[in-house]
Order: sequence, then structure tokens, then C-alpha cells
Amino acid sequence: MKRNRLVATTVASTITLALALTACGGSGTGDASSPEPNDTGAAEAGNITLWLNGADTPDDLRQYLVDTFAKENPGSTLTIEEQSWTDLVPKLTTALADKANSPDVVEIGNTQAPTFTAVGAFREITPDFFEELGGDNLLQSFVAAGDFDGKHYAMPYYFGSRYMFYRKDLWTAAGITETPKTLADFVDDVKKLRTDDLSGFAIGGQDWRNGISWVFANGGELATVDGTEWTSTLSDPNTIKGLEQWQDMFKGASNLPTTAKDDAYWDFINDGEDGSPATGATIMAPAWARWSIGDLTTNDEGKTVRDGMADDTKFDIFALPGVDGGVAPVFAGGSNIAISANSQHPQLAENLMRIIFSPEYQKMLGGAGLGPANSEYVSSLGDDKFATTMIETAQNSKLTPAAPGWAAVEGANVYEELFQKIAEGGDVTALAKEYDAKITPMLNGK
Amino acid sequence: MATITAHGTQEVRQRRKPAAPYLLLIPAVAVLLLGLGYPVYWQIVTSFQEFGLAQQFGSAPPTFAGLDNYARIFSDSTAFAVVVRSIIFCLVNAGLTVILGLAFALLMRAVHGWAKVVLQIALLLAWATPVIAAVTVFRWLFNDQYGVINWLLVKMGLTGFRGHVWTATPLSFFLVATIIIVWMSVPFVALSLFAGLTQVNDELLEAARIDGANKTQILWRIIMPLVRPVLAIVLLLQIIWDLRVFAQIKLLQDAGAPIAETNLLGNFIYDLGMNRNNFGGAAAVAIFVLLLTVVLSAPYVRSLLKEDES
Amino acid sequence: MTTVATRPHAHVSQAAPRRRVLTPRRIGKWALSLLAVVVAVCWAFPVYWMVLSAFTPNALLRSTTPRFLPTRGTLSNFHYLLQSGSGFWPALRMSLSVTLLTVVLVLVFAFLGALAISRWRFKGRKSFILAVLFIQMLPAEGLFIAQYKMLSSVGLLNNVIGVSVIYTAAVVPFTIWMLRGFVAGIPAELEEAAMVDGLSRTQAFMRITLPLLAPGLVASGVYAFLQAWNEFTVALVALPSQTSQTLPLWLRTFMSASASRGIDWAQVMAASTLIAIPVIVFFLFVQGRMTSGLVSGAVKG
Repeated sequence: MKRNRLVATTVASTITLALALTACGGSGTGDASSPEPNDTGAAEAGNITLWLNGADTPDDLRQYLVDTFAKENPGSTLTIEEQSWTDLVPKLTTALADKANSPDVVEIGNTQAPTFTAVGAFREITPDFFEELGGDNLLQSFVAAGDFDGKHYAMPYYFGSRYMFYRKDLWTAAGITETPKTLADFVDDVKKLRTDDLSGFAIGGQDWRNGISWVFANGGELATVDGTEWTSTLSDPNTIKGLEQWQDMFKGASNLPTTAKDDAYWDFINDGEDGSPATGATIMAPAWARWSIGDLTTNDEGKTVRDGMADDTKFDIFALPGVDGGVAPVFAGGSNIAISANSQHPQLAENLMRIIFSPEYQKMLGGAGLGPANSEYVSSLGDDKFATTMIETAQNSKLTPAAPGWAAVEGANVYEELFQKIAEGGDVTALAKEYDAKITPMLNGK
Repeated sequence: MATITAHGTQEVRQRRKPAAPYLLLIPAVAVLLLGLGYPVYWQIVTSFQEFGLAQQFGSAPPTFAGLDNYARIFSDSTAFAVVVRSIIFCLVNAGLTVILGLAFALLMRAVHGWAKVVLQIALLLAWATPVIAAVTVFRWLFNDQYGVINWLLVKMGLTGFRGHVWTATPLSFFLVATIIIVWMSVPFVALSLFAGLTQVNDELLEAARIDGANKTQILWRIIMPLVRPVLAIVLLLQIIWDLRVFAQIKLLQDAGAPIAETNLLGNFIYDLGMNRNNFGGAAAVAIFVLLLTVVLSAPYVRSLLKEDES
Repeated sequence: MTTVATRPHAHVSQAAPRRRVLTPRRIGKWALSLLAVVVAVCWAFPVYWMVLSAFTPNALLRSTTPRFLPTRGTLSNFHYLLQSGSGFWPALRMSLSVTLLTVVLVLVFAFLGALAISRWRFKGRKSFILAVLFIQMLPAEGLFIAQYKMLSSVGLLNNVIGVSVIYTAAVVPFTIWMLRGFVAGIPAELEEAAMVDGLSRTQAFMRITLPLLAPGLVASGVYAFLQAWNEFTVALVALPSQTSQTLPLWLRTFMSASASRGIDWAQVMAASTLIAIPVIVFFLFVQGRMTSGLVSGAVKG
């Protein structure tokens, strides 16, 4: 078994080894036993692997992890492998279950975390270790997504958030000079803005990830848990109220197809390349959408890009208002991070977690525009309107139910179907009943 | 003639070296066992088990489920709808691909040399395009807001197509899917059939023409019998491939479509395994698809065996 | 009626090249040529659109009036992909290794197998032919867990050999079947006659049989090449390490939006173009031989 692992990681470890050597001048690297045992327990030297998804974690952060890990764990190395979000589930399903070749630490989407946690894919984060990593300062909704049976397994890694991007000029032209204060105001405003050529609020019929904000804002829940038994609660009166408000808004404010998903909404509020007018006055999108919005400009590398909303008389943002004012709870993006139950070097993996949750690294996340898991360091995101709106909405954000079967619900596109039917004008109460019956068994993994 | 000589040789060789064919088959059989033996064995065993993510992670042992996974294919109305839809989709696509492929092959034969080369290059380009790229490009072409197709139709005066969403209803979704799959598959069929047609003797056709055969007669009485073996092969391959089409549908659904009503067998297997973590059920459907393909291709297989025996 | 009408045409057409008269048949040929070009344009258009997008800045990709010409072309998409850190070159090397190894294994194994079933009648022959036929009908979507377990247990994850063996197993059935017709089409007497003339068995095989088999081998090779080059579901689980990605996996990494950025479609198109180029080059080399090879095998088989 040991030998297999060696074969598999030879290529990768040669590269990290080279990196580590250049990083710390070869001090201690290659030495099989650490001369001075550190206070975190005698970790046997070895190579560990961290899976990060997509290009979200910037290169300098990765380098920091590799360097710091090598420095703090003489003789051991860290290899970071980038995985793609699209294909993560098949890879986790196979590799995490493999005792010989499992990655040691993995980043995982927050909606996928409960499923893998429930089957014992991750190593428990003991209460003491949890305190050491940040304890109650860690983003609660994300911690909950990684809990199972009262124990912690997957920790928050970073968060993103969603807010509203809008065309200030178009809103003003329609006589609306103030951003809405309540959710009902928002619905009225965007309905007023709609014409045949312009969506007041460009949202797709299948876009439940943005749509569930209306449920949350009205005090509704998607599902509740009693012990370990999950129940879909679409028929809850508050949930119905939210869904009906969303239905009314979709019909009155959006020109998008009922089958459209959360996809490239910025195309609607940008002016066309040929000067054709925008076809949407408002969109709801993750914070990074900013860099796809604005007027066309040429960047330093001579590439034609959008200017990131430089003209603030034309483009602006606001947080989706709540039912009674304030900020509505929106669906939070982001990911969790966990140690594989099959990790061959759990001590080293824990040491890596310590580095990730250290103040230095948390601030680096913030500096890169990723919401840090530890709320003490959110100020590192900056203080411009984008940062403050992101923090404001993230503090009110919610996650999808942390049920073991949630990934199945998502994977089978059940919510896409439901929202499409609502968008088509279906009877919300009847649909809620129908889908409750369908979703409840799925949530419990039946 | 060829058959007779072949037989003669076989008899000679059989007496001389009875072990030879078995030795020659060793590498192929070995690689099949190595590459497919365990996976197929696992697939069959799992299809009779309750096998989910917990079993995959070893936190619960798999339990024997008998024929439950198979029974569910027939009792579950969604699954049954997927089967019916897939068979129809497969036959329509395989049929269209082969008909168009044959038409293109005949066209290449009938035209000037330069036109033939132009068409061949176009077909090769389509064949070499990665699936992901092909589907993405078609999604753009059929996009409701920015798509070239809607733009063209509106230019042609069909203003009803302004902002038309092609993937919104199952029927028009499958129209787009069919266009993509036919676009990708026709090159293989057309080029194969064209090469088959080059073996049709020109003098034979000229003679037929002089004897008063019209074009339809020449096509059906002379050309078709000659290309029949190739036609049969490409048709069988298209049926096998189109029944398990997966990536094109999946990527097209990502553009926004009624998912449950547009799933085909390949997507159904993937969903069942990967998304619902019901690996037992997925394995059962996979075995079922294998049996279904065997049934659909049975006529061809029978004729193949008959030819082989004669 | 038809008889009367067709006959003169046939005669005229033979005389026509000298007299340069536009007879109905010549007009027909021109009309059909025109049709062929129209079809070609339709078929090539999506590919043109892919390449055009690859040269367009991402911010300009979507516009309400389509641009059919590269008026605002940029090389920046390719520039980004071809720089050393993008992973293109290692993935290209990996893809080439896997593909070439697969092609070689497939050709050798399938040739030997085809030889066995076309030159000998033996016990178990029919079952073998049937098995070979049915194996390729099994959908691959459910196999990957077992494939992973298998490779992991023998230490061949992230290894060219492991993936190549799986690809070879997937491709060999069809190629045995294809080659069988070619081998049957070459009478063994030819080889034996050459041996009577003083050549050794190997020499006879190399000089007589192999050249006759070339089209069939080219056809099988192209098939194996395409399968191995484009495959990604097996590669996904069998090559989990980032350093052992093949090109289709590399392309997939551009395909997902995430918390901090959207999909750069122009880059996806540029990457797709890069992946298609080696295939197109390979095709242009072997195309003529391939189609004739594929078909004569089938016709004779």
C-alpha cells in the first residue's frame, strides 16, 4: 500500500521538493526525522497533498502555504493540486475513499460538504482543535454545513456573497432616484422599470440560487431537521409567501426565459459592444461579476475588457433589502475545507489547517477579495463599497440545508425544475406540496 | 473465390498449428481482461446491490438487493420515459446521420474535384472539433439574445424568432441536440461511404445507364447493394453511439433546459450514480442499456454471423 | 419515356468536354458543385465561429449583431494559453504519450487478434466475435469507480500505462473487427508463394502482407487516435494529479465559474482550437488512406 502511494506521488512531489528547496535553502529538507519535535505533536515527516478548486486561491497564497508548511514542518512537503469545480464530485468520490492515494486536505463546495461528511469521508475536527482554528469566530453557517451528528468535520475556507448590480442611469431615467429600502419596494421598482426591451430585473426562471433569497427574506426555510430526519418545508406559509413574491416579480420584471439559469447576467446590464442599449436594469450576482461589468476599455496588456464599473453615475450596487428594511438574507457562495479520513499524515494535515487559519493567511484571503473564514479578519477585504456591501450581505447570508442528501437534490436539478414551474405561473401551493413529497426522501438519502 | 481459397488455407493451417490462433488472441484477450475485466465484474455485482456513497466510503457494507435495481427501471415512470425517449432519439439520429452521410457521399461523387475537396475539408474540420467546443459554439449560435440563428431568422422576416429560446421545450431542445450530433457524426459516415462508393465501377453505371436504368434505379439496384456492408457497419456504430450519448446532452442542458424531460440514458446513469449516489441503480441501468443495444442491433449481428458461417 | 430521355444525355455528355456546350448534365454537375460548397460552408461554419471567438477578446464575445469577420482580433487568448505556466505543454506531452501508446498497443493486439479469427476456425471463435461486439455496447458512465479501484490497487494512477491499457481495452474490440476484413482479403497463398521464392516468413510478411494491410492499419490507428485524444471521463479519475492531466482535462479547467471569476469563453475557444489542431494535422496526413482502408475492410469482410 505504501509503495502505491509513492508511485502515485513521485511526479508531484519532485516538483514540490524543488519548490521547497528554493524556498528555504534546503535547511532540513530531505531529512526523514524532524530533529526537534514541535509542540503540535510528533508528526512523522511526509508529503501531503492539498486539493484546491479552480483558480480562486491566487498563486501567491498557494506559494505561501507551500513555503510556510515546509518551514514549520522540516522534512515534509506540501503539494497543491488544482481541481476543477465541474468534475470535483467524481474525483472526491473515488480518491477520498482510497486509503492509499487519498489527498490529505481538500477544499469542497459548501453545498457538497454535508453529503461527504455524512458518509465519514472526513476526519473529525476535535473541539479543542476547533477552538484553536478560530472556534466561534468562524463563519457559523459554513461551520454548520460541515457538522454531522454534533461533531465538526469540514471547516469554512472562504465565503463570497451576492448583491445587486444596477444601471443607475436607467433607474434615474425611469424616475427612481433612491435605492429601495424594503423588498416590496424593490419588487415595485423593478416592475416599473420593465419594458419590452428591458428587464427591470434580469433573472432566469431556473435561477433558484438567487431566488431562494426571497424565501429566506420572508422568514421561510427550505428544510428543517429533527434529530437526523430532514423535512422539506416548501409548504411552510412563509416559504410560500416568498415564492409567490418571487413569482410575481419574475412575471412583472424579467424578460428572461423561464428556463434560463444563473449565467452571465452582466451581458444584460452592459451596453452592447456595438453601442446597443442594455437589456436589463438590475442583476443579482456574486461580487466578482464586477469585473465583467462596465464600459469597454483597454487594459495595460492591451486587452479589451470591461472597466469594472468605473463610471459610478452609470453602474452601481446595493444589497438586496429585507422585508422590513435592512439587508435580506442571500445565498452565500464559498467553500469548506476538510481533512480526509484516509489521510496518511493526519498530524501534518492538521498542521496545514493551522497555517490556513492563521491570522496571516486569513488576511491574505481578504486581500485577494475572498471572504475570510474567521470574522475577526473581514476588515482585510477593504473598505470600498464593494467590500462593505459584500460583508454586509455575507453577515446576513444563509446556506442551503446541511442535509446529507442535499447534493442529490442539487445534482438532480430539482430546484431548477421547481423554480421554472413557478416562473411559468404554476400554482405555488400545489407545486410546494408536490415538491415537498419529492424532496424529503432525497434529503435523507433515500 | 476469396472465400474458397481462404477455406483451403484454413484447413491446411489447422492441421499444422492448432495452437496458433489461441496464441495470437492472447494479447487482445489479456488487455480486455486487464482493462475491462474487473470493471465489468464490479458493474454486474453492484447492479444487484444497494450501493451508495456510504458503501463506497466503507462506512456501511453493501447489501444484496436482488433484482430491485432492475425492477425500478420499469416501475419508475421517469426511468421508463427516459428509455423510450432515448430509443426514439437514437433511431432518429442514427437514421438522419446515415441518410445525410450517404447523400453527402453521393454528392461528393457527383461534383467537380474542387468542390469535393472543399466539402471533404469542411467535414474533417467538424470531425476534429472537441465535443466541449462544438456544443459551446452551438449554444452560442442558438442563444436567444446573441445567437446567429435567431439573428438570421429575424433578418429573413421571421420576427417571431427575436429572443426565441431554443432549449426551453423538450422538442426544440432535441432539435438542437440532433443538429449537434448529426453535425458531429456525419463526417465519419460520409467519408466512409464515399470511400465505399469509389469502389463502385464507373463502367458498370454507364452500362446500366445505356441499358435504360434511370437514376433511382441505378441508386437502389446497383449502388446500394454495393455499399450495403459499409452502410450496415456505420449504422450499427451510430446506433451504439447515439444510444449512449451523454456529453452533448449534458452540456446543452447547462444552457438552461427542462432537465427531467430532456435526460437520455447516458445522463440518467450519470445522475443516478454521481448525483444521487445510487451506484447500484446506475450499474443496473448500464447493464440494461447493454441488453437494449444488443436487442436493437440483433438483426445486424445475425446477418454478420450468417455471413461469417457461409 | 425515361429511356428515350436518358440515352441521348449519356452520349452528349461524353462528347461535351470537347464542344463546351452547357448540357443539362453539365449544368447539373455545376449546380451540385454549388450545393456541395453551400453544404461545406454550413458544416465548417461552427468551426469558423470557434476559431473566430478564439481571436476575440472575451468582453466582446457576445454582441447583438454578430460580427462575421475578425475585425477586432487579438492574440492574447493564445498568448495566455501558450505561456509556460498555463499547463498546456505538459498536458500536450501527456496526451501525446497516452494517445501514441494506445495507438501502438491497439494496432499490434488488434492485428494479431484479427489474424487469428480470419485465418483460422477454432473452438470458441464465435463466442469471441460476439464478446468483442457486445463489449463496446456497455455504457462507460457507470464504470469509473471500478476503474479507479483497479488502477489504484496496482499503483498505476497518474500513469500513462494505466490509462492506455483502459483505452486499448475500449478500442481493441472495434479494431479487431475492422481489421478482420482486411486480413481475410489477403490470401495466405501470396505469402506462401513468396516463401517458396526464398523469403523467410518474416520477410514475406513484411514485404507482401504488411503493405496490403496498411490502409486497414491506418484506419484503425485513426480511430484509436481520436478515441484516446478526446476521452476524458476515464482520464478524470485515472489521472487525479494536476501534473498528469491530458488535454481534454486541461480544457475542462477553463470551464467552471467560481467564487472569484466567471468563465472566460474566449479562452475556452482558444484552448479548443489548440486541441483540434494536432487532430486536423494528423487527419490531413492520413485521410486519403483512411477512408479507403476503412471501407475496403468492411466490403471484403
